[in-house]
Amino acid sequence: MDSLNGHKKEGYLSDFVNGFLSIFKGMGVTFVNLVVRPKITVLYPYQRLNVAPRYRGLFWLKWNEEKQRLNCVGCTLCAQACPTNVISMNKLGKGNHAGVDEFDMDLGRCMFCNLCIEACPFDAIYMGPTYELASYERNSSVFHIQVLAQGGAEAVRINNETIKAALAAEAEKKPAAAVHTAKEG
Amino acid sequence: MSVAHSGSADARRSGQFVGVIFVFIVLLVIAAVIGHLTLPGLAPVWHFLGAHPILNALVKAVVYVSFIALLVLFLIWWERKFAGWLQARLGPKHVGPQGMLQTLADALKLITKEDITPAVADRPLFYLAPFVVFVPTVLTFMVLPLGPHWIAQDLNVALLYVIAISSMTATGIMAAGWGSNNKYSLLGGVRAVAQLLSYEVPMVMAVLSVVTFVGGLSMRHIIDYQAQNGWLILKWPLIPAFLIFLIAALAELNRTPFDLPEAESELVSGFHTEYSGMRFAFFFLAEFANNFFSAGFAVALFFGGYLGPILPGIVWFILKTFVLITLMMWIRWTVPRLRIDQMMGLCWKLLVPLSLVVFILAAAWASR
Amino acid sequence: MITDTTSRNTMTVNFGPQHPSTHGVLRLIVDIDGEIVRSCRPEIGYLHRGLEKMFESRSYRHNIPFTDRLDYLCSLANNLAICQAIERVGNVEVPERAKYLRVLMVELNRIASHLVFLGTFATDLGATTVFLYAFRERELLLDLLEAMTGARLTYNWIRVGGMPADIPEGYGERVIAFLNQMRPRLDENDRLLTHNRIFRARCEGIGVLKREDAIAWGATGPVARGSGVNLDIRKAAPYEIYDRLDFEVPVFDEGDVMARYKVRIEEMRQSARIVEQVLKTMPEGDIQTKLPKIFKPPAGEAYSRIESPRGELSFYLISDGTPNPVRIHIRAPSFIHLSLLQFMAKDIKVADMIAVAGSLDPVMGEVDR
Repeated sequence: MDSLNGHKKEGYLSDFVNGFLSIFKGMGVTFVNLVVRPKITVLYPYQRLNVAPRYRGLFWLKWNEEKQRLNCVGCTLCAQACPTNVISMNKLGKGNHAGVDEFDMDLGRCMFCNLCIEACPFDAIYMGPTYELASYERNSSVFHIQVLAQGGAEAVRINNETIKAALAAEAEKKPAAAVHTAKEG
Repeated sequence: MSVAHSGSADARRSGQFVGVIFVFIVLLVIAAVIGHLTLPGLAPVWHFLGAHPILNALVKAVVYVSFIALLVLFLIWWERKFAGWLQARLGPKHVGPQGMLQTLADALKLITKEDITPAVADRPLFYLAPFVVFVPTVLTFMVLPLGPHWIAQDLNVALLYVIAISSMTATGIMAAGWGSNNKYSLLGGVRAVAQLLSYEVPMVMAVLSVVTFVGGLSMRHIIDYQAQNGWLILKWPLIPAFLIFLIAALAELNRTPFDLPEAESELVSGFHTEYSGMRFAFFFLAEFANNFFSAGFAVALFFGGYLGPILPGIVWFILKTFVLITLMMWIRWTVPRLRIDQMMGLCWKLLVPLSLVVFILAAAWASR
Repeated sequence: MITDTTSRNTMTVNFGPQHPSTHGVLRLIVDIDGEIVRSCRPEIGYLHRGLEKMFESRSYRHNIPFTDRLDYLCSLANNLAICQAIERVGNVEVPERAKYLRVLMVELNRIASHLVFLGTFATDLGATTVFLYAFRERELLLDLLEAMTGARLTYNWIRVGGMPADIPEGYGERVIAFLNQMRPRLDENDRLLTHNRIFRARCEGIGVLKREDAIAWGATGPVARGSGVNLDIRKAAPYEIYDRLDFEVPVFDEGDVMARYKVRIEEMRQSARIVEQVLKTMPEGDIQTKLPKIFKPPAGEAYSRIESPRGELSFYLISDGTPNPVRIHIRAPSFIHLSLLQFMAKDIKVADMIAVAGSLDPVMGEVDR
C-alpha cells in the first residue's frame, strides 16, 4: 500500500518539476514497452491461438468405434438440462439398442454453459475447440447430427444401420417372448 | 498464451524495425534526389518557370500540395505503427509491406464514402470549414526552409507570416463546430478556439526569443545565423524557450495531453464529429500536415534547419523533423488528457509568465 | 424528453447510450452550462432483459448460467452468490476443496475485473496506452480462467453444492507465474499512471463522496472504501473460507476519484495474496456434494451476500418447495452506485463527470438485469 501513498502537498516549483519528472518516468515505461517487450498481437485469420483443452466451443457427439455407433442413446437428459431449449432429438430404437438419428442444436440460443455435458451419463456429448460459429443467416446456426457427430454424415449412416440391424436381430431372436408377454397381458 | 509460431517472435520484431528503417531510408533517398533537381542541367527549366509568375506559383503549389499529401500518408502510417508498437500491438500489417499502403487504402475509402451533411447544418460554414483549416496549413509550408534551395517564398517577415496564418486555423475549427449544429461539435469548437488562441501567446514569446538572437524575421536569416553560430538550442536561454515552444505546439496541434477539442471520451470526436468522407479527410490531412509543419518550424528555429554534414540539406531537415515528431507521438501516447481549466491554467499561470522571463533573459543575453 | 427549461443558460447533452466513454449502454442526461455540469441524471434500462422474472420460470440449476449475464466482467462472483443462496435455502453442504476452488476462481476473476476498470478508466481520462497494457495482462488471466472453465467471459463454473471440475494439471504453477509477472506490471502502472502529475490533477479532489453520504446511499465495495468506510463482506460476514485467509482491506479516507482508483489497484495486490494462500493451503478431497437430479429445496427463504469487485452483491431467494424459485431478487452494487452520480457529478466540469462516472465502475448488465 505504501507505493500508492507517495502523494503529499508540494510547493509550487517542486510540484512543477516533479510533475515533469513524473511524465518522463511514464515515458520511460512506454519506451520499455516499445523496445523491450514482445508484441502480443496475433494476426488472427493467419495465426491462431491454441484454445485450452477444456474450451467450450462447438459440440460433438462421441463415436464409439467398438460398437460402430454413436454413444448417444437419445435419453433427452441433456435437453432437460438445457436452460434455453437448444437441443432436440429423434430417438431411434429402444431398450438396449436405443440411439438417435436426428440431433439438432440451435446454437443461436446456446449459452455454452456446459450443463448438457454434465448431465450426460453416457459420455455422448462434448464441447470441442471450434469457435468460428457465426453465420449470415439464422438457420445456419442450427447444427444437425451430420455436423455434430464425430465422423460426420458417414458416421451417422453407420450408426443408423448398426442400430437398425441390432433391433432387427433382437426382433428375430425373441418374437416368441413378445407373443408370450402379449398373451399374459 | 501460445502463438502458433511463437519461436520466431523475436525475429519478427527485429524484422519490423529493419523494415521500417529501410522504408525510411528509401524515402530519404527520394527526397535527396528531388533536392538535387536543382542541378545545372535543369537550370533552364527552372529559369523558364521562374520567369513566369503564374506558372511559377502553380508549379510550386502543385509540388507542395502533393509533397504534403505524400508526407501525411507516411506520417499517419508512422503514427499508427509507432502507437501500435508502444502499446504492445503491431499496428497496420495487412495492406502493403508493413501496412505501408494502409493509409492510402483508408484515403481511398474516405473518397468513395458518402459525404453526409446533417439536415440542420449551417451549410456554407459546414462545407467551407475543412478547407479553411487546410489552406492555412499549406500556406505555412511556403516559408518552411526544407533545403538550401527548397524554400518556396523567402519572405523577410516569415515568422510573422507563420504566426498570422497558422492562427487562422482556429476560424475553420470554430466554423466546423458551429456549422455542424451538434452539441459535441460546438463544445469542441469552443474549446479549440480557447486553446489555440491562448497557446499562441507563449508560442509567440518563444519565437520572439529566437528573433532577439538572430535579429531578423526571415527563415533564411535564421538558418544562416545558425550556420555561423551553431544551433540556437545550444544557447542556454533558448532551451526553456524550446520547451515552451514544444508544449505550445502540442496544444496547437490538439494532441494529448491537450486533445480536448476532440476528446474522445467526452465529446465523441469534437469538432469533426459530423464530418465524413473527403471533408473528414481534409481535417485529418490538415492535422498531420500541421504536425509536420510545427516540428519542421521548431527544427528550423532551434536545431539548425537543413544544416548538417555530408547528406543533402533536405534529408537532414526531414530526419530532424521526424525525430521531433516521434517525440511528440511518444508524449501523446504516454500521458492522460488535461481538463479545460487546468490546460488554461498551465498556459496563463505558468507558460506565459515563464515565456516572458525567458524572452527578457534571451534579449539580455543577445544584446550583451 | 426530459429537459430543463428553467434556465436559459444550460444546454442538455446526452452522454450515451452510444458514446465512446459510457460503460455499456448507460445514458447520462446532462445539463451543461458551458463546461460546467449543472445536473446529471443517469437513465437506465437499455439492457433490461427481465432476468429476475426469468429466474421464476426456470429451475434452480438452470438459473445459474443466466447470472453470468449480470456483472459480465466478474461472472463467477454472480455464480457464487446465487449458488450460496440456493445452498442456504436447501441446506446443502459444500466440500472443503470446492470452497477453496471457489475463492481461487472468484479472486482471479476479481483481478480481471479490476484490470478492465483500470483500462477503461484510463481511457476515460485520455491515457489510451494504459488500456492496452491492462488488457494485455487480463488476456493472460483469461487464458488461466479458460484453462479452468473453458470459457473466457461467461464462465458458469460454480454449481449448487460444489464445483463441476477440479483444476487442471499444473494450474497452480501457471497461476503463480502469472501473479509474479503481474505484480511488477502493477508497479509499472503506478509509474506510468498513478504518479503521473496530469492523472493526479484529474483525479485528486474530484467527485468527493463523504463518509456519511456513502453510508446513507448504501455505497459498498471500492466506492465505500474509497470514502473511509471499512466495509468488506469478506471480513464483515466471511463466507466460504475468507475467515481463514490473511489479507488486508484497503481503505482510503479522501472519498475522491483517486481514492476509489487506489482501492481497486490495491485490491488486485490483495487478491494476488489470497490466490497464493489458497493455492498453498488447498486440501485434497471431494469437490461436489451429491444432489438429486431434480433439486427441490424446502420452502423458505435465503439471503446471500458476497463481495463482488463492484461492491456488495446479494441474492434474496424465496422457495416454496417446487423445482422453481418463487422469487429471486438481486441487490446489484452498480445500480446503487449509479444513484450517487446525481449529486457527485454536480457543478463540476464535463471531463470530471466522465471521470466520476468511470470511477464508480458500473456494469450495465448488473444495473438493468
